[in-house]
Amino acid sequence: MTQDASKITNGHMPGPLSGLRVLELSDEKGQFCGKLMADLGADVIKIEPPGGQNTRWVGPFLDDIPHRERSLSFWHYNTSKRGITLNLDSSQGAVLFQRMIPSCDIILETFKPGYMESIGLGYETLSRLNSRLIMCSLTPFGQTGPWKDYLTSDLLHLAGGGQMASSGYDAEDVPDAPPIAPGGGNAWHIAGHYTYMGIMSAVYYRDMTGEGQYIDASVHEACALTTEGAIAIYLSTGDVVQRHTGRHASVDYSTKIQMSTKGGGWVNLTRSGSNLTPARLNTLAKWMDEYGLADDLLDEKYRDVAVLQENGIHIADVLQNFCGNMPQDELWQGGQERDFPWGAIRSMEDLMGDAHLEDREFFVEVEHPELGRSFTYPGAAAIYNGSPWRISRRAPLVGEHNQEIFCGELRLSPAELTVLAESGVI
Amino acid sequence: MALPRPLEGIRVVDFTWVRAGPWAARWLGTFGAEVIKVEWPENMDMLRQNRFTVPKGVEPGPNSTGQFADTNATKRGITVNVRTPKGLELLKQLISVSDIVIENFSSRIMQRWGLGYDELKKLRPDIVYISMAGFGHTGRHHYYGTMGPAAAALSGLTFLSGLPGEPPAGWGWSYLDDTGGMYGAMCALTALRHRSATGEGQHVDLSQMITGITLTGSAFLDRTVNGRESRREGYPPGNRTVWPGAPLAHNYRGPTAVPHNSYRTKGGNYNDWCVIACFSEDEWQKLTVLMGSPEWATASKYDTLDGRIKHQEELDQGVEKWTATLEKYELTTLCQNAGVRAMPVQSSEDRVEHDAQLRQRDMYVPMDHPMLGTWKFQNAPFKLSKSPAVVSSPPPMIGHHNREILEDLLGESHEDVLAGYEDGTLWPKEMPKFKYVEEALR
Repeated sequence: MTQDASKITNGHMPGPLSGLRVLELSDEKGQFCGKLMADLGADVIKIEPPGGQNTRWVGPFLDDIPHRERSLSFWHYNTSKRGITLNLDSSQGAVLFQRMIPSCDIILETFKPGYMESIGLGYETLSRLNSRLIMCSLTPFGQTGPWKDYLTSDLLHLAGGGQMASSGYDAEDVPDAPPIAPGGGNAWHIAGHYTYMGIMSAVYYRDMTGEGQYIDASVHEACALTTEGAIAIYLSTGDVVQRHTGRHASVDYSTKIQMSTKGGGWVNLTRSGSNLTPARLNTLAKWMDEYGLADDLLDEKYRDVAVLQENGIHIADVLQNFCGNMPQDELWQGGQERDFPWGAIRSMEDLMGDAHLEDREFFVEVEHPELGRSFTYPGAAAIYNGSPWRISRRAPLVGEHNQEIFCGELRLSPAELTVLAESGVI
Repeated sequence: MALPRPLEGIRVVDFTWVRAGPWAARWLGTFGAEVIKVEWPENMDMLRQNRFTVPKGVEPGPNSTGQFADTNATKRGITVNVRTPKGLELLKQLISVSDIVIENFSSRIMQRWGLGYDELKKLRPDIVYISMAGFGHTGRHHYYGTMGPAAAALSGLTFLSGLPGEPPAGWGWSYLDDTGGMYGAMCALTALRHRSATGEGQHVDLSQMITGITLTGSAFLDRTVNGRESRREGYPPGNRTVWPGAPLAHNYRGPTAVPHNSYRTKGGNYNDWCVIACFSEDEWQKLTVLMGSPEWATASKYDTLDGRIKHQEELDQGVEKWTATLEKYELTTLCQNAGVRAMPVQSSEDRVEHDAQLRQRDMYVPMDHPMLGTWKFQNAPFKLSKSPAVVSSPPPMIGHHNREILEDLLGESHEDVLAGYEDGTLWPKEMPKFKYVEEALR
């Protein structure tokens, strides 16, 4: 029951952001924000330097053959966009860019602070061409401050933002383990989410007042905001959280909730045994008893909350023994059917074919006509019942829409386009 | 004169609780929407009970937790028992004069209350309704429950984190509660845009768990396009891009690079760590010079990325010998001034007390809180030039704004409000009222 993107593209309902045009001048920092806007229906035109963005050279590649049109990373982060090439450093390039401003609603740029001004394309200049323009600069640290020119990377942001200080292992599990930066790319994702919110709030403000504005967004601040309770705990008690294997960093030691299963998997139990009420523990113990693995958990003494809490470590041990005897899927789904919010630690393989995801038409077949193939992409996290979130096309090839934009919209002749290409402007 | 805020004039009925939902509505409030948090004291928001964030010297209670405070800033609060006909009627009145309804209950609760989308639409035809259930409202497992950590596990995010050959390290906080919250706010803003363009409201059926899947990055396509096995040697690669000795593979950390790791710094305390990454020969050369061009580092085997990958373990040990001689902020300044990518691993304390950048950018905004005194709230990570996002007020004490919302907004008489306290519509009959609740009724 996978979605067929081509069918949906021809469907009658436009996405919620249809009618908005975005010019995206963005590397790894902003491409995810641009993808969100594009998948939600905005006309996002990605403007790359002639020859293509360096993000096209980030692996993995289709069939492991490195090529600027085969980067799966570029594919993932640039769906539903159109693509043109333009050298903004050239005077002709800058003029062509300015000609695109009146028809554009949003600019998302991720150059170093001050770069756009230095080439005569700062907000002050561009807003004179279009007072409704919303321009967002997304940079590692923002436009001001002592670190504004610091170099970064995804890893660096996950360190500075506090993600690493909260993630890692108990010493008894992995002695001397470093803080762990979880999953690559997530500094950019976190920044993308907040930047999207900032831009959309400006769109609403413009819908009400007719006025555009400038937004100075910071990856570092977005990451520093995204460690759930760590800041509140520090402000409340002065305590710094400690890293634990597969569960919340916390001030105190907490009982384990990441249980290994039969067959080498893991299930996250969300909350430890000692956090259960006597009634919930009893439900669990009855289930465990079906397999002869309840140990003493059906004992009446556990009807007393205090006894239950005192025995947290013992309960966790019995639970681990039960989990270790159960296959991963049977365990987490069996828990869910009994109203325990458990989740398997799924790999990519485990996710494929998930019936619930198929019911939601999450898996989307996206056509790559130049390859004569289509591939399965991750689709919408939310179902909008009035205006769909959908991938409308694969990422653009280098300069794929040059003719469409420069000739079709800016009215350059094909001959002029040739000269621009030969002189390195596009 | 204070600048206007982008969502001024928007009213939000906020049924959310715990973290993801309240965090979503908190951002709508920060953008200037009038957010009314609906609660019931017998079924208290879990974060109001978070004993870890009651500051010393503050009387414990539902209005005294720092975690609730930051997560629910910029809202007003009302207590109504939705399970009584009178309470339900009041909520329907409130919804009929509101723009957005947002909730993160399990998938059938609102319908059971008679507040499903079809009903909401009758009350307010262009209502924007954001539901934030773990698995969403659509699909066979809609009734499955999630909290952030289980959602992260199911999405594939947890699997990506850790050292090879060890269990997943996971995410040391509920990433998908923070993220689910962001998506809740993003969906609301997106649907508002659609409404201002078309006049139409809609139901946005968000799934917290599914938000995580796309955040696994190119791991998803590496599976569907290349058929890559996740259970492979050297994966996940800790903080590195490739694990020493394992077969070379791309591990979704951006461009393959060595060095790219965490290193101990001077002091040797729990968070005395930094990270360093070199993405070119030039950056590696600069680091070498900074380390004083020691003999080991200038060996030709490290001249190429290929060589640095082959000898990564030795290289990392060499780099750490140097980083261990420097304090993490001192190291960061040294490296950054020389064009080398380095950052300290920052704890919560580091970010609040020692991060010069966050301080300059006013990341933590002090505000008066009735129980906590002067309290720092986390600010927005972007600055809008004309309509700034501002954390403008502390969170509501439970039931704090009943009278002003019921009398001033919904036009209830004072007598009706008093009666609502007597008959269990606005406060549980058996539960003692807080002093501020009593005072507000006089």
